[in-house]
Amino acid sequence: MGGMYTIETQNLTKFYGRSRGIIDLDLKIEPGEIFGFIGPNGAGKSTTIRTLLGLIFPTSGSGQIFGLDIVKETKEIKKRIGYMPSEVNYYEKMDVQELLSYSANFYETDCKSRIKELAETFDLELDRKIIDLSRGNRKKVSILQSLIHQPRLLILDEPTSGLDPLMQAKFFDILKEENSKGTTIFLSSHTLSEVQKMCSRVGIIKEGKIIAVEDIESLRKKQLRKIQVEFAHPAKADEIDCPGIIAPKADKNILNFMFSGKMNEFLKALDGKEVKDLIIEEPTLEEIFMHYYEEEKEKSEKA
Amino acid sequence: MINTNIYFKELKRHRNSFLAWSISISALILLGMASFPLMMQGEMLKRLTPFFESPFMKNMMTAFGISLDAMTNILGYYAGRNAMFNMLLGSFFSILLAGKILAQEERERTAEFLLTKPVTRSEVVWSKLAAFLTYLLLLNVIILFIGFISLESFKGESHYSLAAFLIHSFYFFLLMLEFGAIGFFLSLLIKRGRPITNISIGIIVGGYFIEIISKVTASADKIGYISPFKFIDSGVLRPDYGLTWWRVLYFLGISLVLFTLTFFIYKKKDILI
Repeated sequence: MGGMYTIETQNLTKFYGRSRGIIDLDLKIEPGEIFGFIGPNGAGKSTTIRTLLGLIFPTSGSGQIFGLDIVKETKEIKKRIGYMPSEVNYYEKMDVQELLSYSANFYETDCKSRIKELAETFDLELDRKIIDLSRGNRKKVSILQSLIHQPRLLILDEPTSGLDPLMQAKFFDILKEENSKGTTIFLSSHTLSEVQKMCSRVGIIKEGKIIAVEDIESLRKKQLRKIQVEFAHPAKADEIDCPGIIAPKADKNILNFMFSGKMNEFLKALDGKEVKDLIIEEPTLEEIFMHYYEEEKEKSEKA
Repeated sequence: MINTNIYFKELKRHRNSFLAWSISISALILLGMASFPLMMQGEMLKRLTPFFESPFMKNMMTAFGISLDAMTNILGYYAGRNAMFNMLLGSFFSILLAGKILAQEERERTAEFLLTKPVTRSEVVWSKLAAFLTYLLLLNVIILFIGFISLESFKGESHYSLAAFLIHSFYFFLLMLEFGAIGFFLSLLIKRGRPITNISIGIIVGGYFIEIISKVTASADKIGYISPFKFIDSGVLRPDYGLTWWRVLYFLGISLVLFTLTFFIYKKKDILI
């Protein structure tokens, strides 16, 4: 077995009737890491999280958190985790203080001082009614609610949605602080850029399947760009000679490719050619991963 | 098994609605019973006898479980009136509270909050069931108290058996318990905990009318047994009036089966958010 993972799943599969949730998910989250779970809407991020939390039950496969079974030992698991949902829905008649106390009373830890402290940090008024709160303020309540009992694992579903940049920064600071105390963090997002500063590793999920799990460091080193060059003449696939050009595709005068080399060298390579238009953009998440993976596959095939 | 945090929160959440129902039902009992001395005064009832004995009224009276003789007794009057108003209101209270206390979490999407706390699904159902039963018992204690007060205050020359009053009230409690069990069970069959108010009202009004029809029409007598109301024994003035084992067994049995199914379904179901 080796070391124990904080979260581990084996072929975790969930179907809602006939429609797909997640298929054969294998996750391994190390203790103390910040793991980003990235994918477009509808890819299965929330399904994964809700299955891990025992809100819904797996169709097949299994999972453990802290080595405890996600179906049978869910109460034990929940003593040690904090969860923040993507859409915050609370008892609207309660005020913030009442909701947080209700939440705190489920745990053995005394949370009073922590509630006060965090409410100040996030500038949250405790005597407001939930129903009167804006989306951002509800999100803050949700943050507090997930943190006050000092969990060993934080599961955050789209934590940044609805938070203004200032609060987002404060929130990330707190997460880093929690993480430095040993808390493992599992967060989902539909944009890599939003969470790449936070995470040590990311997993990408597409149509219910995990297509890649990578260190954020090695991804960043790639600095992948999506480039389109339009020439005055019909282009060939090997039109530009520069290291770092990946999978060039020529279509009439237009050349499309991914670029992971040095921008300076690329510009030099263009020198002297008759360029009508040049578009350099950040590739979508999927493009990064797909190209990254194609490259890795080629490398391993060559070796 | 019971999470006190959830239990007390549920009591608080439903306190106002409980108070409103209790006050309404109490007021109806008191107002209804206050008219008893008026009916007795100056032999009002006797003067109305020819009217009540017309074929149409006779059928109506049978339907509502009222006989003229019974109405001249304070407990007979109480049971007759109860069957008409309070039994229906109590049943509504029970089925509506039971129908929302659990399902509300899914409808308002707070289930995601509650079920990610360290509680098992069973603890959630137990705690909510306990809160429901607390209010059901409280309502019945209030009804018992108000009923007793009104019997004592307005009885005049009339005499009644305290035992018969208690037994009748116990049937009333069993009826509400069964409607509660129906409410819990139904609320879990509805996707995303949509309100079951319409179905609930349909079940109670429907059940009530089936029982009425079965009383008026001899050939429909057996059909009446699909209605829980049929199992209430309202013959409070009969000398042998008492608890009948099969009636009690019916109420407790159905309730137990439905509560068990509720636990089973809730433990296995996906919470949709």
